[in-house]
Amino acid sequence: MLRLKSIKTIFMSLTIIAFMQSCESRLDLVPEDNRLTAEAAFATEEGYEQAFAKLYAGLAVTGQNTTGQPDIVSDDEGASGYIRSIWKCQELPTDEAIIGWNDGGIRALNTQTWTAGNDFTRAAYNRTIFQVTLVNEFLRQTTPEKLDARGETDEFKAVVNGYRVEARFLRALAYYHAMDLFGNVPFVTEDDPVGSFLPPQIMRSDLFDFIESELLAIESEIPAPRSNAYGRADRAAVWMLLAKLYMNAEVYTGTARYSDVITYANQIIGSGYTIPQIPYQYSFLADNDRNGAEEEVIFTVPFDGLNIQSYAGTTFLVHAPVGGTMSPSEFGINGGWGGLRTTPTFVEQFPGEENSADQRALFFTSGQSKEIEDIGSFTNGYAVTKWKNVDVNGNQGNDPSGEHADIDFPMFRLADVYLMYAEAHLRGGGGDMSTALGFVNEIRERAYGDSSGNISASDLTLDFILDERSRELYWEGHRRTDLIRYGRFSTQGTWAWKGGVPQGTTTSAFRDLMPLPANDLGVNTNLQQNPGY
Amino acid sequence: MKTFLNAILFCVLLVPATLFAQSTVSGTVTDGSNSMPLPGVNVIIKGTTTGTSTDFDGKYSLSVNNGDTLVFSFVGFVNQEIVYNGQSKIDVVLQEDAAQLDEIVLIGYGSTTKQDATGAVDKVSDEDFNRGAIVAPEQLLAGKSAGVRITNNGGAAGEGSQIQIRGISSLSANQSPLIVVDGLPLDQRGVQGVRNALNAINPADIEDFVVLKDASATAIYGSRASNGVILITTKKGKTNSPLEIEYDLKASVQEVTNTVDVLSADQYRNLANISPAFDTSLTGNANTDWQDEIYQRATGAIHNVTASKGYENFNFRVNLNHVSQQGTLRTDLYERNALNTAFVQRLLDNDLKLTLTAKGIIDEYSYADTGAIGAAVAFDPTQPIFDQNGNFTELGDNLAPRNPLSLLEDNQNNNRSKRLISNFNIDYKFWFLKDLRFNLNAGIDYAENDGKQFNIANPNNPNAFAFQNFYSGLNRNTSLDFYFNYKKDVESINTVVDLTAGHAYQEFYISSNQTLTGAGGALITNPEIINRNGLESYFARASFDHDDKYLLSLSYRADISSRFSPDNRTGYFPGASFGWKISNEDFMKDSFISNLKLRGGWGVTGNQEVGNNYAYLGVYTPAINDQVSFFNNGQFIPTLRPNGFDENLKWEETTNYNLALDFGLFNDRLTGSVDAYYNETKDLLSFVPVPAGSNLTDQILTNVGELTSRGIELNLNGKIIQSDNLNWDTNFNITFQDVEVENLSLTDNPDFSIPTGGISGGTGNTIQILRPGFDPSTFFVFRQVYDTDGNPIEGAYVDVNGDNQITTADRQAYKKATPDAFIGFTNNFSYKAFDLSFTFRGSFGNYVYNNVASSNGALATAINAPGAFQPNVNASYLYTGFANQQLFSDYYVRRADFVRLDNLSLGYQLPFENLKVRASLTGTNLFVITDYDGLDPEIANGIDNNFYPRARSVVFGLNLTF
Repeated sequence: MLRLKSIKTIFMSLTIIAFMQSCESRLDLVPEDNRLTAEAAFATEEGYEQAFAKLYAGLAVTGQNTTGQPDIVSDDEGASGYIRSIWKCQELPTDEAIIGWNDGGIRALNTQTWTAGNDFTRAAYNRTIFQVTLVNEFLRQTTPEKLDARGETDEFKAVVNGYRVEARFLRALAYYHAMDLFGNVPFVTEDDPVGSFLPPQIMRSDLFDFIESELLAIESEIPAPRSNAYGRADRAAVWMLLAKLYMNAEVYTGTARYSDVITYANQIIGSGYTIPQIPYQYSFLADNDRNGAEEEVIFTVPFDGLNIQSYAGTTFLVHAPVGGTMSPSEFGINGGWGGLRTTPTFVEQFPGEENSADQRALFFTSGQSKEIEDIGSFTNGYAVTKWKNVDVNGNQGNDPSGEHADIDFPMFRLADVYLMYAEAHLRGGGGDMSTALGFVNEIRERAYGDSSGNISASDLTLDFILDERSRELYWEGHRRTDLIRYGRFSTQGTWAWKGGVPQGTTTSAFRDLMPLPANDLGVNTNLQQNPGY
Repeated sequence: MKTFLNAILFCVLLVPATLFAQSTVSGTVTDGSNSMPLPGVNVIIKGTTTGTSTDFDGKYSLSVNNGDTLVFSFVGFVNQEIVYNGQSKIDVVLQEDAAQLDEIVLIGYGSTTKQDATGAVDKVSDEDFNRGAIVAPEQLLAGKSAGVRITNNGGAAGEGSQIQIRGISSLSANQSPLIVVDGLPLDQRGVQGVRNALNAINPADIEDFVVLKDASATAIYGSRASNGVILITTKKGKTNSPLEIEYDLKASVQEVTNTVDVLSADQYRNLANISPAFDTSLTGNANTDWQDEIYQRATGAIHNVTASKGYENFNFRVNLNHVSQQGTLRTDLYERNALNTAFVQRLLDNDLKLTLTAKGIIDEYSYADTGAIGAAVAFDPTQPIFDQNGNFTELGDNLAPRNPLSLLEDNQNNNRSKRLISNFNIDYKFWFLKDLRFNLNAGIDYAENDGKQFNIANPNNPNAFAFQNFYSGLNRNTSLDFYFNYKKDVESINTVVDLTAGHAYQEFYISSNQTLTGAGGALITNPEIINRNGLESYFARASFDHDDKYLLSLSYRADISSRFSPDNRTGYFPGASFGWKISNEDFMKDSFISNLKLRGGWGVTGNQEVGNNYAYLGVYTPAINDQVSFFNNGQFIPTLRPNGFDENLKWEETTNYNLALDFGLFNDRLTGSVDAYYNETKDLLSFVPVPAGSNLTDQILTNVGELTSRGIELNLNGKIIQSDNLNWDTNFNITFQDVEVENLSLTDNPDFSIPTGGISGGTGNTIQILRPGFDPSTFFVFRQVYDTDGNPIEGAYVDVNGDNQITTADRQAYKKATPDAFIGFTNNFSYKAFDLSFTFRGSFGNYVYNNVASSNGALATAINAPGAFQPNVNASYLYTGFANQQLFSDYYVRRADFVRLDNLSLGYQLPFENLKVRASLTGTNLFVITDYDGLDPEIANGIDNNFYPRARSVVFGLNLTF
């Protein structure tokens, strides 16, 4: 009996041990669907290309599906996109745009009354820093050591090295936008880990130096101007970002660098870009990648109604300004979102206002009042018809449902360079007046269709350039930076609803910097809030 | 030779026994309540193991000596002891145990009795269940147990409920209790494609629920026990019982009791007199109450046919169930066909018991497009249902509300879910040591679903496509556990020792497939999504009962979860509790207090139910389709995104303390218990913002923060009248609770808060806040300023920080959705063949944000719509006169205390001899007493937004038993 009992016990124990062992190993689980561990992701050349593609896609889309697989979860997905979030911060607090919606803190952008809790400034912050971490991860996963360890061929290593150079451009670009909006932001590079640590804060001028050094470091490695694939950065894009950095250097660092603007503007201008003599509006149509407008584009963010969809890019820019009695089909879309209009101040930039000979005055006025009594009412304020999801013949873009736009977003274009040249010249950066005047008139000839709008040297003042930048580059995400450079964003300059009153009032200088989001201050004790917030 | 030896032994050992005046006694044992014979009653000579049990006719016979005491015992009945003094026949009438103190109560991997339970354990049985045409099993339990709050998610057909035991103990991890059906722990995430995964358990098939509330009771379930555990036991056949066939019908009619107050067609037309911007050219000539149109009188029927029979060693129960339930929203339908079986086989002289339960369920849903609810509230009431062409009237603008009836009639979404839940149990008493038991459970919960959705092209968008969506999936939950149990009354130390140790392994596998209309109108097939996770556990428990007075129970569980890295994979969850049966002390003898027990417990439980299986791994996610590509060299290149992760992810841990007193007065005519508890959760698994730049997204799942909850629960049962013809029982329970976020960030920053509670009326808006020191459902609002007449002044709020501007910095934490107290109150009456019961439920101190009113309750709703259409306005506008939305005004945070008559049921037992016939009439959701002026004050998350109204129903029930 005892023997039997012992045998039973031993048998039972063995069974249990065997069972336990079989279970323990079954707990090492990795994804079995199309998700991949990092090792698996970089096991194929396609993996590298797709991870690289995500870096560029980060500028255009908001996640791994049109909606529902967001990169950033604390913000509304549509609002979390790169272009939309930066665009709102750059345009809504200025005289160029006003929006009627009731989403979160969006009204506070219109009225310059945002707080550190604002979800739209946070969206721009989250997105730019996300883009930085995305690049950092790519750089970590593609170090020469890792490429060696994976046994990649020399030929493929060269390809990956090209990816790395462009990745660093995209990081510099994201840091540039973050620096411009928020000043002193958390700073991380590929040398930092992923996980529980508190990134240090970098001061704006130090970040300026980092961006500059990165751009100078990749300048020679990145493909020559106009030699890279459409939509990818080349040397001219690097120069353009350097030029913009130097243009606003006094704001960022306290030290003016206008002569450097002239240097890099000249290099870009010498690279073969032209102002095409086609209607101004062509640059903002569904076929702006092929209707001739692309001739002046230095860096663009491509969209496609079927294959590059998001509610964060030009889809937003074409739907949001349509409302009232506007016909959506004229805009190549299935319906307007009845939000965006412009202020009387901007309308008045054009001689003759809505009836201006300047073709850049693209307003819809029927049923709209010029003045804005009620921000919430779409019919208050003229609508802007600059962005249209139709081709030069008026045909709707690729998406037959009329939801998503094909319009590529021209982030950097030659007209901007011409105006920077002129402004840098007037600010003592060198160059010469007649060249500057020629550039400005070249822009205006496209705007007027002939030389009737040309100006003379005496007209070319700094004030004129600020206004001309608005007329030429409005609703492209430049206005806030320009106004700050001219000191007219907060303490000077008024327009409808600035400061929260209908006629507009000045605001405090601290608003030249956006606040760091309250929630990031809450979790990262290394951060010091910008003054005033 | 052997026979000879045996004969000698017989003579030597047994023959002398007869010399000591041994004789045989026999008799019949009957049930005191109905005088029916009781089979299976244990008859034992006290102090020995000699005994027998009654047969099918309640008869027994046993050899006894003069002076022996016979003990008659049967589960659920009071033991009787009779001294044998030569009677030839001893007939015994056993009385049902009033307090049921000896009632067996499951406690997870074992059982105890009610009087020996040391944890907060509550058993709710068949006779206590809520009445009515109940489809969702958890509704049987609503209002029946202190600390258990069951809020159904609305009036949809086959709808589920939010079940909360002792408030929440987690923020981002699953907040549902672990539900164990006949030993098989169900997936806390439910299964795909159905409104309520629990509907697979037929309410008519449930014997009882045991709710394990405190950690000393739940710690044996370790990592999944933080939200409490509900053990469901389904009905089985009874040993030695005749064939019984039962047919049960519940036929119901339901109607909505309340709809959202919106402007009538005339009030709406009158907006033209208020605002010149109101465009009368857009209005029609009809007077349509759209909410009247979308709701219907819904009918339903539940049929149950059950056969059961028990033999000496085998019994079975087979139940066939059909449910057909319409929703009150037109086209909404739920159907269930199920076969539920249970077989019990006893072998080896009852030492081996094999139990097989198997349920096959087909759940079918016709999902009505619930978007119709919001559309009916917003649709222009002056428009006719049909236009002049006989088509549904549409407003012609892409952003305009759709015709609510078109949404219901023209859109279809049907899902069929086939499910098998089966558990095989082996319970074996070792032949060499009867006190040692081996128990093994092998279970599977397997579900396949197949759904088809078809929506017509949006008639308001000429470019739109019809939308098709084919979805299917598989959920498989397999479980294998076993344990050894040793239970012995060690007389030398006057202690009953009960020891258990075991092992469990459970694996969950989920796959999903979807083919749907993509960009450009073509059907696209999404990549298959597969998720697998496993959980392995070791557990042990030791319980001691000394002198039937002092109880001690210790338990320990180690859980190993595949969701964490090998370094953090194992979690340890101890529990300990004591009990002191004061009423068994000598000084309590002859007191009017018939039962008094003090018990206390402590335990640690965990939570790993976070949805994401690979959150500790850096995983790359491909794009789900080709709609979010990058354009490179003329090709669209799909993208691969690194996801955020936390490699240090680990168990969420809740420490719980419980102190309680169980009491029974006046011979247990009044019984009850008071429990006080305190829960502290640390390392909360939370989706929280990460420091920007430190991870690959802006919010990740990580262990951050602390949450505490505390409460007092009182449970009272009274047998107010007990007589031959008239009985009156009552149960009252009340729970006071308080939940508070203690900390939310890695930096222990006390001012850090996270917005939650998304609302409609603009994108990205939230109305609640997670903030240290506040309840997690706290609202975050502007403090409305009122004029002298008490009307809100539009846009006037308290300038909290005194900067003369109203900015988001002036929003304040204010009120919360969690109640301070909630009650359940049940009464059962019976008079001769009639019975009557009703249950009230109530909730106090809870507030609801009326999002229907806030998003649509302004003039701007009609006149500032983003297009050529004018939505209807919520009737709150008539009081506020708001020109524009005031989404964040505390005006919309309304007190939502309520008392609801959940059900009232009248039954009658028809006077047949050989047939039991019971007819009943039940009304559910008969009335609600509340100050809340929105649709319904009982909203689980506190945000009232296009809620599917709860219906009032009248149910006719008929039960035949042959």
